[in-house]
Amino acid sequence: MRTPRPIRQSRRWLPGAINILVVAALLFAATFLPPDTSLGEVRRSGTLRVCVPQSAAPLVTGDPAAPGYDIEVLQHLAERLGLRLALNINPAIGRDFNPRNWRLTRAQCAVIAGGVVDSAATRGFLQLLPTGVETGWAAIVPPGEALGPVGTAAVLPGSQGLDRLALSGFLRENGIRTLAARAPGDLVAALETGAADIAISDRFTIATLALDEDARILWLPEPPFARFPLAFGLWKGDLTLRRALRDAMDAMGRDGTLASIAERYGLDGGPEDAADIGELFG
Amino acid sequence: MTPHTASGIEIVHLSHAFAGRKVLDDISLSIEEGTSVALLGPNGAGKTTLMNILCALIKPDSGRVMLDGVDLARQPDAIRRRIGAVFQDPSLDTRLTAWENLEFNGLVYGLPRRERARRIDEVLDLVELGDWRDEIVKGFSGGMKRRLEIARALMHQPRILFLDEPTVGLDPQTRARIWSYLEHLRTHRNLTQLITTHYVEEVAGHDRICIIDRGKLLANGTPEELRARHGTSMIRCMPRDAETEAALRAAYPDIRSLAGGRLGVALASPDMLDAFLATYGTRLRQIQIDEPSLETVFLSLTGRELRDRAPGDDTAAGVGEQAI
Amino acid sequence: MNDLIPLARGLYGIWLREVMRAVRDRGQLIGGVSRPLIWLLILGIGLNPYFRGEVYGEVRFVIPYTYLQFLFPAVIVLNIMYTSILFAVSVIWDREFGFLRAILVSPVPRGLILLGKILGGSTIATAHGGLVLILARFADITLSWSQVGLALLLMFGLSFGLTSFGVILAARVRSFEGFGVFSNTIILPLYFCSSSIFPLDPSLTRAQTAALYPEWLVFLVEINPITYAVDALRGVLINFHQFDPRLGPAVIIGLAVAFFFIAWLDFRRR
Repeated sequence: MRTPRPIRQSRRWLPGAINILVVAALLFAATFLPPDTSLGEVRRSGTLRVCVPQSAAPLVTGDPAAPGYDIEVLQHLAERLGLRLALNINPAIGRDFNPRNWRLTRAQCAVIAGGVVDSAATRGFLQLLPTGVETGWAAIVPPGEALGPVGTAAVLPGSQGLDRLALSGFLRENGIRTLAARAPGDLVAALETGAADIAISDRFTIATLALDEDARILWLPEPPFARFPLAFGLWKGDLTLRRALRDAMDAMGRDGTLASIAERYGLDGGPEDAADIGELFG
Repeated sequence: MTPHTASGIEIVHLSHAFAGRKVLDDISLSIEEGTSVALLGPNGAGKTTLMNILCALIKPDSGRVMLDGVDLARQPDAIRRRIGAVFQDPSLDTRLTAWENLEFNGLVYGLPRRERARRIDEVLDLVELGDWRDEIVKGFSGGMKRRLEIARALMHQPRILFLDEPTVGLDPQTRARIWSYLEHLRTHRNLTQLITTHYVEEVAGHDRICIIDRGKLLANGTPEELRARHGTSMIRCMPRDAETEAALRAAYPDIRSLAGGRLGVALASPDMLDAFLATYGTRLRQIQIDEPSLETVFLSLTGRELRDRAPGDDTAAGVGEQAI
Repeated sequence: MNDLIPLARGLYGIWLREVMRAVRDRGQLIGGVSRPLIWLLILGIGLNPYFRGEVYGEVRFVIPYTYLQFLFPAVIVLNIMYTSILFAVSVIWDREFGFLRAILVSPVPRGLILLGKILGGSTIATAHGGLVLILARFADITLSWSQVGLALLLMFGLSFGLTSFGVILAARVRSFEGFGVFSNTIILPLYFCSSSIFPLDPSLTRAQTAALYPEWLVFLVEINPITYAVDALRGVLINFHQFDPRLGPAVIIGLAVAFFFIAWLDFRRR
């Protein structure tokens, strides 16, 4: 009787495994083909053209010393791609709710910035590159003892186009009096004098305030209040440009550039999550 | 139901029809364990149908089959574990290696891994294909494929082996080799074998021979028995003209018509040959006298020659057709 | 219990043979690669400019994705359809070359033989569908592992149904010759009528859709089960549904059960 030969099972699979590897490698290699000319065109002109509203603090300020979060991020992006940033200021953005009336076309800019909200509706028209910040209603809770029942809330609606009706309806339903603030400073003052137990405004407005170290900033919880991630808008179909910007953006996120810009505009950290409605309003 | 303890093959009153035509007609046959039986018959005799029934591939219209003491109709799965089959048409996966074909069969029969590995080596050694185990079957010669099929049929150590024309289309050397493997299995493993063939020269080595034609079992016995019982000397001749043929038919009422316009006359005694030659010797185009053999047994039982003739005779048949 | 282990080995053997053969079959693999490349790279990129945004607020079809993203799940389905339905070739091969007989004389029950073959075919088809996922980066689709898992599950369900369908076809096709016909009479029509390369816009009402497309085309798309399979995969991969999200998985499971049952009836009769 001969001794049984070892089963060379690994060798059996080898030809098949090689075939599969070759096929997978081929497909993977194909993903590096550029699917369109959008990046090529931007590179040829040497300019990254961006449509922005006149003012949308803290994203776009119009102040050359501190031009805004979106603008600074875009400047870095352009620099990393070896491009010059050209702003196309369009006063219609933000004033009119229907973006069709802004008359933004591909010829004017490759990117739309300054408060583009990442939602299904926006994605129907644009492809988006999230900027890492989000907006929504937030509340300032003064430092000190635990929150009692809230009697009065100071409210500054701000310019973000958040749903004011939902907020005022909610406050009324819960029997909370509303103290309308006219300027951001009014919010701080109302808290300091005790005229209001809590101050509510959009997240960006609150970010610009100089607050007591111990004051807590909380998101108004969803539901019923929604939070909106913000993004840069790119034209649908501009895959190569979006990919290049996304890669640069990822790199900025990794090396801390993004975080340092956010810190300068008070957008770092951000509000805390309130556990529920009860925690906020007692 | 009577208890049945006999192993081997037991076929009782088996009949089967396809589209109204009787392919098997009341076949009864008993085969002892450890014997080899040759099933001899021309194409279309019903051999393959019988094989398919015995392999539980088709259900017979009527009759009963016991294999290794198990009733086929009642426990087909138990039967399947006990039988191995080599079909006339190749049934290997030619895109896999020899080893993979056997491994596949081992898995299908539910053998554990160690057992598979051991038996693959064993059966490959038996059919002398050990050196080819990792080669793709596509490149194998016809003989190698057939040997591999036999190896495969033995993987699960069946008690009964069915082989449908195992040597057809192979060269004499390979045929001899295959018969020697089967001989070895019979003597060393007590393996019951049922083999269909139409090569007369190959059946003599079997324990029993069954002659089957047109769905009927015509004879069943050892080669010696058959030769003694049915063997006659035979004159095969081709008359020169129609007149002679008519005269021959009148003189010998049981004369048989053979392929190519030839006639066959069974010789009852040596005197008969002298008389035949004296009368018709000069009026024949061709004559051949056969000693009693299995071939003449077959011829006298079925009235047909067994298979396509060797090349020499084909020419004669061709001439005959031209004459007609 | 002891009886089940040998049966499981038999099932595994039949499955393994199909998979083994498929990974060695270069022709089939080339088909599995060239189809997604042609459809996604050539067609997707070729049509991309026509679905591009030019003015903010104005696009022809308001779907929240680019054309490449929209096309991507459909290409997966196409790849699965080809591999599954052409699995019939393997079944016919077994029958014509006698291999089937060698399995039929074994103690593996017929239902299990069929199941093993179909599972093998579905595995191959799922793998071919999964290969397309490598191109996700190209189509700008980012996938989480749970999305990949869920997508593979749906693909396997679809593959199982379509492979069974291939087996049913094989039982009704007598020779290899009918095969070029398969892709032209079955696969491509089903594919084109599955809302794969143009969307039936979900934001439009039934009446508006009918105004945009002729009624018969809308009808064809809506009765085509592949439509719902594509929709289910879109739901998982790009989170976009044109129909009720429950419909897709329901249709996939329905196809798998119904076709396997018919295939089983066919196979038992043989």
